[in-house]
Amino acid sequence: MAVNPAPRRVRDRAPWRLKDRRYRAAAESVTAEQRPERPQHEAGAPVRQSSLWRDAWRRYVRNRAAVVAAVAFGLLVAFCLFYPLVSPHDPYEVNFSQASESPSLEHPLGTDRFGRDLLTRTALGGRVSIGIGFAATIAILLIGVVYGSIAGFVGGWLDNGMMRFLDALYGLPYLPFAIITIAIFGNVTFWVMVVALAIASWFTAARIVRGQIITLKQNDYVRAAKAIGARWHRILGRHLLPNTLGVLIIAIFLELPAVILGEAFISFIGLGISPPDASWGAMAQDGRAVYRVHPIEIVIPSVAIATLILSANFIADGLRDALDPRTKET
Amino acid sequence: MALLEVRDLQTQFFTRDGVVRAVDGVSFELDRGRTLAIVGESGCGKSVTALSIMGLIPRPPAEIVAGEVLLEGRELTALDESELEQVRGRRIAMIFQDPMTSLNPTLKIGTQITEALRHHLGLGRREARTRAAELLDEVGLPLPQQRLDDYPHRLSGGMRQRVMIAMAISCNPAVLIADEPTTALDVTVQAQVLDLLDELRHEHDMAMLIITHDMGVVAEVADDVLVMYAGQVVEQAPVEELFDNPQHPYTEALLGALPQLDEQEVRSGRLTAIPGRPPDLLDPPAACRYAARCPYASRADSCTTEMPALRPVRRGHLVRSAHPACERAEAAAEVPA
Amino acid sequence: MTALVIRRLVWTIPVLLLVIFLTFVLMRQIEGNPFRTSERAIPESIQRNLEAKFGLNDPWYVQYAKYVEGVATFDLGPSLTQRGQTVNEVVREHFPESLELGGLAFLFAIVVGIPLGVVAALRANTPTDYAAMVVSNLGFAVPSFLVATLLIYFVVVRWGVADIPTSGWTTWQSKILPVVALGLGPAAYFARLVRGSMLETLQQDYIRTAKAKGLPHRRVVLVHALRNSLIPAVTAAGPLLGFLITGSFVIEQIFAIPGIGRYYVTAVTGRDYSVVMGLTVLLAIIVIVANLVVDIVYGFLDPRTRDARA
Repeated sequence: MAVNPAPRRVRDRAPWRLKDRRYRAAAESVTAEQRPERPQHEAGAPVRQSSLWRDAWRRYVRNRAAVVAAVAFGLLVAFCLFYPLVSPHDPYEVNFSQASESPSLEHPLGTDRFGRDLLTRTALGGRVSIGIGFAATIAILLIGVVYGSIAGFVGGWLDNGMMRFLDALYGLPYLPFAIITIAIFGNVTFWVMVVALAIASWFTAARIVRGQIITLKQNDYVRAAKAIGARWHRILGRHLLPNTLGVLIIAIFLELPAVILGEAFISFIGLGISPPDASWGAMAQDGRAVYRVHPIEIVIPSVAIATLILSANFIADGLRDALDPRTKET
Repeated sequence: MALLEVRDLQTQFFTRDGVVRAVDGVSFELDRGRTLAIVGESGCGKSVTALSIMGLIPRPPAEIVAGEVLLEGRELTALDESELEQVRGRRIAMIFQDPMTSLNPTLKIGTQITEALRHHLGLGRREARTRAAELLDEVGLPLPQQRLDDYPHRLSGGMRQRVMIAMAISCNPAVLIADEPTTALDVTVQAQVLDLLDELRHEHDMAMLIITHDMGVVAEVADDVLVMYAGQVVEQAPVEELFDNPQHPYTEALLGALPQLDEQEVRSGRLTAIPGRPPDLLDPPAACRYAARCPYASRADSCTTEMPALRPVRRGHLVRSAHPACERAEAAAEVPA
Repeated sequence: MTALVIRRLVWTIPVLLLVIFLTFVLMRQIEGNPFRTSERAIPESIQRNLEAKFGLNDPWYVQYAKYVEGVATFDLGPSLTQRGQTVNEVVREHFPESLELGGLAFLFAIVVGIPLGVVAALRANTPTDYAAMVVSNLGFAVPSFLVATLLIYFVVVRWGVADIPTSGWTTWQSKILPVVALGLGPAAYFARLVRGSMLETLQQDYIRTAKAKGLPHRRVVLVHALRNSLIPAVTAAGPLLGFLITGSFVIEQIFAIPGIGRYYVTAVTGRDYSVVMGLTVLLAIIVIVANLVVDIVYGFLDPRTRDARA
């Protein structure tokens, strides 16, 4: 692993990589008119204020990867929501004469071994997967917020006890836990899956919320609020929770891929939602049987999952940078 | 030949919004055994000057675009990174402002001191350890042997700064740069650290460059003073001359902003603050940069049209202003009462 | 330091009890028992006898107490569906493979992921960095069943690399594909994490101090920066274990590895209480122990926590 940079002179050299040299040229070429939003103030004038959200938005939009990810994410979700409404094919109709076809004009992604149009099935699968993802994520956050706020806000022995309990729960392996939960219900429906996933994964969210609340609680403005006699629900609702909003939004985009992946895994080992409402994971499992001859059946749903996870991750990164500009990566 | 000579140093930052001229033509000389203080408010470029001398500015986005830095006759800006590594710590050392964050929290104090000794002076493990203990003793830490095995978080701010100083002088550098060494410490400790620095400088016959925004510190330790504003030197003089006869309006304001306990100059009780803020270094005015805040600036003069040059107005005393105090006094005297 | 370890060990007991209790409660909620759901219709009287024999008719707290006693003496009870086998035997047969798979995958993740992250950070914003990050993002997002399938497809079917079996867990060749498939995700995760952490560390003041001392670049990175950068990676290693466990379920299915992952699912659907309980308890113990190890390593890396933990 080469760790030493190539020796270079400080000046009069072309050691800066191409990108840096262009960077420098770009910086030099920025004239006064082109500078964005820098108030041309003389020394002594006050600097204009700008709200937190607007700043965050602006910072987010400057991050190209995050924007691309957000667009991709939006497109994927939109596709899954709307395509089945306009698709000319019936996703449930079995038609062996058209089984396992390659992509064509009529079937842009081909058909599966039952002759069903893959594109439409992918969209439907997306509805299920994404639906489960969002539902479970919201459930996780709800449980997490309630648990975390109570623990963080009340503090003391209650907080201690609740956190110890949480530590204990961490000892439960995620997948087995979810599997057992599913088994309890016997028949696996959409909501069963949501509940199972939520129950197995709310711990981290609770911990994050509690951590935030504890940090914020120590802020002076909370003390000020208490000093003027504000009641606890006002403090919680007005001061603490809104400030955890940023962290929660980021948490959404971090939990979502984990939940979707979890659902995919569970479906893949056969414990998923009963057909015919297949999620992407279930489709992948189906496709596994024929992957040697018709790999597209497993590849497509997996790629869809991967795309969703990737874009959600980038969105989360972008949000994190936008809301907390201290983490710079130059 | 001066020990450290800086000629027309210009350091710029290339940012998304344009070019920031952080250091815009700074020159000075530092001789052996003397202390030069660079004083100015936050953002005036004094720290960047020090970092540029050491070659520690972050290479993108910053760059030394012009000027020379000569240490013992050697041109530092022409050296490549590995050559610079030989010079840093060995011939010229630097201590930083915040001792809390400037020491590596996961390494023992002893390791952090001995690594420089072993790298630059080639000392063996045991030798280096002995020397490190000696150094800790020299900087005034009690129980130096035990301290070597401690981690930084165990020490107080003052003690950590002493450790930093020990690290810096360990290889007997010719020049010591101290960037706001006392700002993060409380007042009682400040005096001790300044005394320590002064003492060490005498004993090791080093030259010291001290960066500060506190005129009290300047009065305490400096032999010569450089006043910086908005990336430029605006006044340069030996310390007593500066305090007795400040010429630049900015220097006068700085001195006026000092709380005075001296009964001869008891003021009406107010500290004079300087209104306004320094100019944006992205787009500095082509004229005098202090004009917007200067009580003597007038449109009739060149203040808003021309950049005043740094020129001598008294013996050994340079000023960059169209209205240095001595000329103002003359002008006032000419006006019929 | 030792106080820390002892305290954590003491804590594992109530945690374990809780785990057993929860699993116990949940399992009891699943309807049916192994004898009623098996394919062969068992006459009622025999069913009752079996239930009595396995203590299924005792009140729940009695069953629970007996079970806890069993765990304490390392007796996990008999398997309810595999007549004649005890859970211990099941574990002994299948567990080592899973452990090996998980262990190797973890090693792979460390050996590949961490250096990748370091290199990417050192060459930040260069093509090397971008390439490394693209690879790691893909490795992270692509679900491991796809990775496994693609690996099998390309390595065996397309390129025809001989001697790499795609099932079983015997020769070292048979272990390559599953380990890579399972370890790629964690490796990618580590790479991203270490890169970010390293970049942040390199901005710190003490790195500037180290450079000001004139230390060679290699030392600054390897000694000063790396130690601090690894800390978040170590923290992430704990939950990663959970990922390895869940991932192994899927990988074992794909590569037909006779580990406990495969066994677990059949046991759950077959209502084999004791196997499920035993395996869950075992997994929980592993996770707890792993977290303990992580905490110890963390304490080793970051001396501040050694004193702060009160």
